[in-house]
Formats: sequence, C-alpha cells, structure tokens
Amino acid sequence: MKKIIITLLILASVSLVQAQVERGNVLIKGGTVLTVTKGTLENTDVLVRDGKISQIGKGIAAPSGFRVIDAAGMFVMPGIIDAHSHAGIDAINEATAPVTAEVFTGDAVNPFQVGLYRALAGGVTSIHAMHGSANAIGGECETLKLRYGVKDPEAMKMEGAPRTIKFALGENPTRVHGSGNGIVPRTRMGVEFVIREAFSQGKAYMEAWDAYNKAKVQKGFRGTPPAYNKRLETMADILRGNIIIHCHSYRADEIYMLLNVCKDFGIKRLVFQHVNEGFKVAPELAAYGAGASVFSDWWAYKFEVYYSTAYNAAILTKNGVTTSINSDDGELMRHLYHEAGKTQKYGQLTDDEALALITINPAKQLGIDSRVGSIEVGKEADIAIFKNHPLSVYTIPMITIVDGIVRFDREKDADDQRIYVDPKQTIDVTLHTSTGHDHESCMQGAVYETAKLFGFNLLEK
Amino acid sequence: MNRFYRIPRQWLVLLLCWTSLGVYAQEEVKLAPVTRTYAITNVNIIQGPGRKVDMGTVIIRNGIIQNVGKNLAIPADAVVIKADSMYVYAGFIDGYSRVGVTKPKEEPNRERPKDPGNPEPAQAGITPQNDVRASLNPADKTVEDLRALGFTTAQVVPYGGMLPGSAAIVQLGGNSANDMVLVGNSAFYSELTPAQRVYPNTVIGVMSKYRELYRQASQAKAYESLYASNRAGLERPVSDKILEAFYPVIDKRVAVLFKAERNLDINRVILLQKDLGFNVVLGDVKEGWDMINKVKASNAKVFLSLDLPEVVKEEKKDDKKEESKKPVDAEKEALEKRKAEAVAQYTAQASVFQKAGVTFGFSTASAKTKDIPANLRRMIAAGLTEDQALAALTTTPAQWLGIADRVGTVDNGKLANLVITDKPYFNEKSKVRYVFVDGVLHKYEVKEEKKADAKNGNGKKADPNGKWSYTTETPQGNSTGVIKIKNDGGNYSGTITNSMSGQETELNSIVVDGNSLTFTFGFNAGGGTMTIEVSLTIDGNDFEGTMSVGSFGSFPMKGSKDPNQ
Repeated sequence: MKKIIITLLILASVSLVQAQVERGNVLIKGGTVLTVTKGTLENTDVLVRDGKISQIGKGIAAPSGFRVIDAAGMFVMPGIIDAHSHAGIDAINEATAPVTAEVFTGDAVNPFQVGLYRALAGGVTSIHAMHGSANAIGGECETLKLRYGVKDPEAMKMEGAPRTIKFALGENPTRVHGSGNGIVPRTRMGVEFVIREAFSQGKAYMEAWDAYNKAKVQKGFRGTPPAYNKRLETMADILRGNIIIHCHSYRADEIYMLLNVCKDFGIKRLVFQHVNEGFKVAPELAAYGAGASVFSDWWAYKFEVYYSTAYNAAILTKNGVTTSINSDDGELMRHLYHEAGKTQKYGQLTDDEALALITINPAKQLGIDSRVGSIEVGKEADIAIFKNHPLSVYTIPMITIVDGIVRFDREKDADDQRIYVDPKQTIDVTLHTSTGHDHESCMQGAVYETAKLFGFNLLEK
Repeated sequence: MNRFYRIPRQWLVLLLCWTSLGVYAQEEVKLAPVTRTYAITNVNIIQGPGRKVDMGTVIIRNGIIQNVGKNLAIPADAVVIKADSMYVYAGFIDGYSRVGVTKPKEEPNRERPKDPGNPEPAQAGITPQNDVRASLNPADKTVEDLRALGFTTAQVVPYGGMLPGSAAIVQLGGNSANDMVLVGNSAFYSELTPAQRVYPNTVIGVMSKYRELYRQASQAKAYESLYASNRAGLERPVSDKILEAFYPVIDKRVAVLFKAERNLDINRVILLQKDLGFNVVLGDVKEGWDMINKVKASNAKVFLSLDLPEVVKEEKKDDKKEESKKPVDAEKEALEKRKAEAVAQYTAQASVFQKAGVTFGFSTASAKTKDIPANLRRMIAAGLTEDQALAALTTTPAQWLGIADRVGTVDNGKLANLVITDKPYFNEKSKVRYVFVDGVLHKYEVKEEKKADAKNGNGKKADPNGKWSYTTETPQGNSTGVIKIKNDGGNYSGTITNSMSGQETELNSIVVDGNSLTFTFGFNAGGGTMTIEVSLTIDGNDFEGTMSVGSFGSFPMKGSKDPNQ
C-alpha cells in the first residue's frame, strides 16, 4: 500500500512538473487524406478529439463545439517532421571541448523565435532542435512540437520523446579543436579516438556505479562512492541504450568507422545526419539498422561535401535504410515538401515514399513514430493541409495543426505573428540586404567564436 | 536651514565649541555628530503601507526609532527637524543590486586559453566561495545616488560569472565596509552568465555545470557527514571550498538569488530549481508576467526590476496626409503600435503580479538610478496602488530578507532608516529632503525650479514664426535657402525653398516644443519621394541642428531669422 501511495505521489509530482499541453477538437472535412502509411483516401474526413485522431472516414458529423475545416479540394497530410534543425533554441554549440555530452539544448528552448512560425507555415509540426557539430560528442538534443503561441518554453517540448544526442565527425570537430585549440582531435583518426575514449570512460563510470550501488546494500558496507560526473553519466546512458545517437557525417569511411565503434560498444540506436556519401554504404547502414537523414541536393560547401548526389535519398531508401530529408536551416525548413518532391525527379520515388522522407521516417529516427508521422487513428493530430498536392511545385500550405490546435492559418493569421516584441528596437524603413546564403547553422557560435578569438579565417566554407 | 532646526540655546554654545575644536584638531576626519537624537516634528508619518499618522512626531536616538506618535515630548538633546507637512517613510530596501560594491578592474586577458574545455574555476566564473563583503565601499558614488532617492538598505552581490559568491544585506551609509553590513551571507548569488572563451561558454554549458557542481556538493556533503559519524575504514574526504560553498544552500539555510530578467531566464532558473530543489529568489525580473504560475509553483521570491523600457513617443499625426499614406507607413505604424504595447506590458508587470496574488520586492540592479522614481510612478499609473508600491519597497523585502524586526516600517525600536519628502513620495513633484540611515542624517537642498519657458536663452519661448534663411553642409558642398513658418493659433505650417532650384516644398509634422523645432519635408529624388527630417534648436533669432536624409546620413544645418519679417 505504501508503495502505491509513493508511486501515486511521484506520478502527481511529475504531472505538476510537466507543462500543460493544449489539445484541440477539430473536424477536417472532405479532403484528400495522404495517410503516408495507409494509402491515400479521397474525399475523407478526419475527426480530431482532444488532440488525437479519433476517426477517419466519410460523412463524419461534427460533434458540437468542434471546429470544422472545409478541406474539399485540398490535401491533408501528417505534419512535417524535421530531423535536423537548430531552431527554437538559444544556444547551439558549447564549442569549448571535444566532448560535451552533458549539455542539453532543451535547457535553452526559446518558443518566441518567429522562425518557428515560419516553419509551421511550411507544414512543419515537429523539429529536432540539435546541438551543433563543433564537437565530436556534442550535447543532448530536444524534440520540439511547434506549438507556436505558447509562452512557456516547456510547453514546446514534445513530452516523453526519447533522448537524443549529437555526435560529429570530420572537418568540423577537427577544425575547432585540432586546428583551433591544438588539442585532440586534429584528424579523423583523432575523432574516432575521442569517441572511443569517451565511451570507455563512460563504461568504467557505469561499472563503478553499478558496483558501488550493489555493494552499498550489503550489510556493514563501508566505502566511497565514485565521484559524480555529468558527462560520463550521459555517456553511460548512451551505453545503456537510453539515448539515440544522431551523428553529423559526410564521408563513407567515417560513417563506416562509427558503425564499427557502436558495434564494439553494443550501441544499436544510431542515425547519421547529412550522410552525403551514404549512398556508398547504404547496404551497411541497412544491415546495422542505422538511419540516414540527408539533404535533397545541398553540397560542396566544404571539401568533405563534394562527393554528393541528388539520388542519395532514393538510393538509401531503395536499400532499405530508414531515410529522412532534413533542413538544418531556417529557410529550407519552410519547404521540406519541395525537398521531398525532388526525390521523384532524382530516383522516381513514389508519393508515399517521398512523403515518408519528411513524416514517418524522421519520426522513426526520433523514436516518436508511434505518436506522429502518419494519419492514423490514435495518433496525435499533427496535420498539415495543402492546396494542391504537397509534392507539386504549385502546392501552398494552408493550415497547420498541432495536437488538434490550429497553429498556422494562411487566411486568418495576422501579419505580425511575433509573440514578444522588443520594446527597445528601433523601427526604421530598411532596405533588404542579403549577406548570401549562410550554410550550416550547425557551426553557429563555434566558427564565429573561434575565428574571432584566434584570428583564423574559418568563416569560409 | 534655520527654518528647520530649532536647537535649544544651551546646545548652540556647545555646538559652536565642538565645531571649532573639531576643525582645529583634525581637519580631514569626519566629525561625529553633535547629537544622535533627532525629533522630526509635525510630519505625516507613513508608518507602513496603509498605516498613517497625521502631523505626528518621530524621535530618533542612537540610530534607533525611539518613539512615533502625536504630541510627543521633544527630548532636550534633540535636533528638531520641523518637517511641517512633509512625509516620512521607512527607508526603502533594494532587494538586489551592486550598490556600493567596487567593480573589479577588468584585466583584458587576451591570452589564448590552452585547453578551453578545462579552465581554472575562476576563469570559468566559478567562485561561490567569494563574499561581497570583501568589496564593499560606503564612499562609492552609487551609495550616495541611491540613498538620495530614499533607499537605505540593499542586498548586494559580488561581480563575477555564473557563481560570483555570497550576497550581503547592507546599510547605505557608514564609514567603513563593516559599518555597512547588516547581514552577511544573505544569499548564494548565481547567474546564467557564460564564461568568456572557456567552458561553460553557453547557457546550456552553464546549466549543465550548475547541476554537476550542485550534485557533487550534495555528494561531498553526504560523505562528510558519513565520515564524521564513523571514520573507520573510510577514505578521508577532500576539502573543496567551491563545493563547501553550496552546503548552506543544500541545507536550505540560505536561498539561491538568481539573476532572472527575461521570461526565458526565469524558466531556466526554475528548471534548475526543480532539478536540484534549492530555495530560490528571482532577481531583477523584467519580463515575468507570463511566468506567474510557474513562479508561484516554485515558491520563488521575486524582486521585480525597477528598470523599464522607455516610453514610445507618439508621433503627431498629420490628418491631411492620411489618404496618401503609403503601405510602408501603415506597416511602420503597426510595428510602432506593437512596440508601444510591449512597453505597456513591461510597465504593467508589477500590477499583474499583484493581481495574481504574488507579492514582490524591487531591485535596482539594472535600473538607471535617476529613472527610478519616474518608473515607480509609471507602474502606479499602470495599476499598482501606492500602498502596494510602498510594500514592495519596504515591508515585503524586509520580511524576505529576514530583517523585518529591524527595518521596513516606522515603528519604535527599529533602525532609524527614514526618508522624508516634501510631498507624498509617489507625487511627481515630490522631492527627498532628508534621509536617515542608521540614524545618520543626510540632507538634500532643493533647487528652485526653473520656469518652463526659461529654457530659451532670452527667457522667452522660442518663436519659429517668420522667415529664416538657412545653410546646410553636405559632402556636395553648402546649400542655402529659405524656411517660412506661420503660426496659426498653435497650428504651424510652412515651406522650405532651396535657392539653387528655387523649388518651394511644403513642410510636414511641424512640432514646436520649448525651443526645439522639428519638421519633415519630401524630396523628389528621381522616381521616389524621400522624407527629410529636420531637427533644430532655436536660440533667439538663430537656429542650429541637423537635417537627416534617410540612409545618406545627417548633416548640420544652421540659420537665422530675417529681421524684416
């Protein structure tokens, strides 16, 4: 009985801690429903009750109090999920050490960035707000739901989403730490060493704690606990299988290297990010069960990204790799449906295969596919409604719904969708100036800081 | 001076002796006051929020309030302050600032950190073992400035990074650092401020490091008590002054005072608090209105910032031009409107907290001292009552800082921390006349207010009416012309004519304020019309100022009135 009470108390306190998620009721009438996982349903209604899809069918009557959206002639698809983003957070790179597993982007969520609304206006409902790629092992990342309009940063977090962590291989970590600070890693070999060393230390830490906790309960035990270390604690949690690795990578050799490292340490949950040379190791990725999250056709911004092809996503898909297309960029994030559409030109993917790249597949990579990523009864009502087929160049996102709440409405929203306004800003009539396309927000903070501090010209790609 | 001091005759003699002796004996040393007894008579006593005694007397002896009330006998040794129709309040308490704390000289450390991931704790901003009492200075100008507004007590914190050290509650007076201190180690001061160039260099690094240090401290503390209870067979605990500084926090004997200005800062601090379980005080809150429920749930104590964003100046609308308004103007107007709304939210924060039932104190940490009285008035205009404002300045912080038995109200036995003003404190025209800190009197002379129209050089309000010739200096050379301004019962109209082109252009938005004259006019620059803004200061028959030409910059403009007009 006591145990039950304690459990109840814990449950109560957990629910107190978690932010209240706003959930809506809505009926989407008569659209072409692109379920992604269960085919396409013409002239079909989707009923959303309390934030979840409760019924899909024809001629569903609207319960009283439900908002009705007339989607006749429109396309209703699952909300787009971006598996690689740096939006919605105030800090991206803790670029001061090659391993910073202990930091967490979820500590720096900023729900007021208007870029999040712009993403909603591109049909995006969830993003993976990642640590940057300055370090071989960066920090833990946060999966956000774009409940734009909430003022509590905690309410942006996708409650219960699995923990993920950013790793990075190749030029970025070697440049920041090797070239920048003269410490390991300076080479690709060094990156492998840093990762293996961190795992080995994490393993020793885990074993020391396990041994201590086991000994502690013995009668008459006298001893010293191992010193608490948040970095090693996180490494241990990866080894325990509690955290999914998302690794920034380009070259086939280093992708294969990390597969071997993970194999050696018994780590199964692994997704590669960017993976421009993924097409060279597609069978190996598929065999390991590792995912790949790629750009449709973005490359050549630095030496290691020259060997690339627009067929990458299609080749990976055809080889059975769970593949997604991501943005890593505030602008690209607004038209991921176009990015997915490119795979039909370069690789002849079917509509469902192409749409899966930006819905159910990224959901699988983030471990949230039982909740979002397709239109199925019981799933959370994260839905995007388009005029014209979303894979057409003529498509226009009209309404985006998160948890049954309309968060973007092309017709009804105000011009100025900012939540907080800086009371000190000066309002001038300014001419738009372009500083060119700035790639890789992955390196935000790191490149600039390093360049500024040490006088290296690192700003070139 | 004689108006306010009624010194008994026998004391006058003594006073003279004292003064002259003092002067001969030690020229440089501050003199002890003749007496430490004062009687403030015929004064409106606001003992605390909602507690008022009309035309009473306050008697102070040896730094303590000895008696408060009506018809009190004046002690023979008292200096009498005839505060006829003035107002006396308990001295104000600043919940969080660095008043009187000497700023360390910044040593620009340009040395490239060898291993930025493993800095010395001090370089990483981790110095919780430091104590602000080591850097107090009662002669610091900030002490005098804040005291002149009626503040007598403050909780002050050291300079530093994420963990600067422990705070102290100080009196804004005294001759030495020790004189100032009322309570040492009053709070464990923390910020989310990252270190420069080394770990933790981001807010996520700071939060992670904070958790790690706290948990290491909890672990070290638990091990120390285990070791203390039975040492047999245990390794000796290693002393660590950084971790030991956390012990009073872990025991909840001391709260963490966290700087938390923005909405997001508040959320991050509360995240840490939930994880680690310390008692928290949020300092200098500027943007907390959407976080009230969280603040409530966390049991945090709150010091709202006395800093406010500046009021958005309303531009005078030119109704005639309404029809020809360009889309860009409408957009600009909408943006200005939102900005004004934002400013209003900041201003209303205190009343929103009050209405939500969250009590608060105030902090001056980032407020410009001279703006504080006006900012308080703005908060009151936005819905806070005067009593609520007074409580936030006196009783609430006194209670939270654990010094309510000594300060915060005008009651017998409390420290003689008082502020006396000629009008009620929150009145715009109110002036602070006397401040007592620990019974030590500080007097403020009131300057005669200048008449409004004395702004102008010759004592008259500027008169822009008439014909002016002007010269502007631009990179293309000087340009001259004529400005004509007509005053039609307060409505100004006018034209500007360039002598090169001879083209006459109508002036818009002419505003005359004291001796300042501003207007705009359109300039046809091949295809588009550009708005030129002119801002001038008139001094009799001359003016001087600038002409701003969009992105081309602004250029000096001067001129004089045509005497024939």
